[in-house]
Amino acid sequence: MKLLTHNMLTSHVKGVTKGYPLLIKATEVKVNEVEFNPQFVSRMIPKLEWSALVQAAEGLGHRQDLPAELVSEYEKDEEFLKKVHRALLEVEVIEGCLQCPESGREFPISRGIPNMLLSEEEA
Amino acid sequence: MMEEAASQLEREHVHSVYDKIAPHFNDSRYKAWPKVRQFLLDLQPGSIVADIGCGNGKYLHINQEVFKLGCDVCRPLVDAAWSQGHEVQMCDGLRLPYRDGCFDAMLSIAVIHHLSTKERRIRAIREMARTLRVGGRIMIYVWAMEQKRRKFEKQDIFVPWNPNPQGPVKSRRRATAQSVSEAIDNADKHRKVRSTSSVADEEDLTSATPQHRTQRLWFFSRSLDSVFDFGSLTLSRSSSRELSTLSSPTGESEGTKATQRGRGRGLIKQVSSFFYPASVLGSEEDVFDPVTDLHKAPHDRGGNYNNNAAGSEGPDNQSVSLSLAQECGSLALPDLVPFQRGHLKQSVDVGEGGPAGKERQESTQSPQGSEGQLEGSCLRYYHVFREGELAALIENHVEELHVTHTYFDHANWCVVAEKVQLWKI
Repeated sequence: MKLLTHNMLTSHVKGVTKGYPLLIKATEVKVNEVEFNPQFVSRMIPKLEWSALVQAAEGLGHRQDLPAELVSEYEKDEEFLKKVHRALLEVEVIEGCLQCPESGREFPISRGIPNMLLSEEEA
Repeated sequence: MMEEAASQLEREHVHSVYDKIAPHFNDSRYKAWPKVRQFLLDLQPGSIVADIGCGNGKYLHINQEVFKLGCDVCRPLVDAAWSQGHEVQMCDGLRLPYRDGCFDAMLSIAVIHHLSTKERRIRAIREMARTLRVGGRIMIYVWAMEQKRRKFEKQDIFVPWNPNPQGPVKSRRRATAQSVSEAIDNADKHRKVRSTSSVADEEDLTSATPQHRTQRLWFFSRSLDSVFDFGSLTLSRSSSRELSTLSSPTGESEGTKATQRGRGRGLIKQVSSFFYPASVLGSEEDVFDPVTDLHKAPHDRGGNYNNNAAGSEGPDNQSVSLSLAQECGSLALPDLVPFQRGHLKQSVDVGEGGPAGKERQESTQSPQGSEGQLEGSCLRYYHVFREGELAALIENHVEELHVTHTYFDHANWCVVAEKVQLWKI
């Protein structure tokens, strides 16, 4: 699971209203090399919940001084975009779980795949 | 109650079937539909796209300029997609684990026709609409009731999955298939195309020549929606036991429990067992009505499925019932039909046309061995859609989506819809 994906994921347990962002508890993390496409990254940024990304990256020890607040005019700032690229697309959680911030329910991640399936009671 | 019936039906006849047949999906007989491909290619660079019910991820490699993620309930398929390098999750379409409005576009290709009630199909579409941003677009494909040369008689059906689609095919046809495959191969270098599988299925679907009598069995069911409307909860216990041959056996005693749960399970078995080969029914006959027929049939059943199966006369009942327990028919499913249909029509000489009734072949084979294990469990449930049904479902029940295109594509009804901003006064 990459952090770009994590940025979209939320807990959907019945009754939960504050299920986002999910807390990452990782037992295995990989960093891959992914081709850097500055326009792609630049276009992704407005779609992100920025603080959730920073929080997630920090939790994994891969924050690499991403700012707490988005800088303005980042489109031309290649250094910045490279950092974002790394956090979004290169850091990958292979094993661990995602924890609902409200209910505490843990969704397992195994072989890189988060299992967000709910039981009958939770759905 | 209905919910439980519905999810159990889907567990047995969708989820567990896909789990079993998942390894075969990595055959390249499952290609990407061109119009779906185009939908993805037309997206703005930097878009975020979700493929809900992505299967083995066959659409996830298209268009490097957009970020795609996929999800599915089937673990083996999702694993296969991940091993191709895609971002995928396990989840259920009725409860998507994504925040509101985070996607620029979505796909739902051959997915919601596996949901067994209208209400669930609406919920699935609503969930997808929720996660789409305003202005975002969704493309939905579902299997059509109206096929090119015939129409399914009923909308709720069980279809056997054919593990070995290369049935009795003449060498001439095989040659034709090769050229089509080559054309496809040239067009799409990313995927290896298997030679004859999909084409063989296409022919099975259309040919009615006596010398190539292939099995095209599919089974009709009453829709779960109608079963509950008719108060069919009163159906007898004995019938539910006897008719459960083709569903997976469980240890429970149907109907003996006073609880709703027990009755529900018994009903599930009845519903999932109420399918009959078209050949038993005769040419244009309607689906055998389980309620009325049980009233007609004698009470001493003796536990023999075959005797009371169709309730109608005919010695061929037994052999048909048994052989349908043996065969995974060679019915072509929409996702197996090759897109270069035009080529096929010209070059393949088949005995086409004729009334729909003629196309239903009677099984002439005798039972082949152990009964019903693999085949019964390879039946996939589908609710096939009538023309206009999908668009109407969206227009009437999902106000945040506005239908912009509808069309027919290779045995599917297709809709493209856009998420609109709702203004509440």
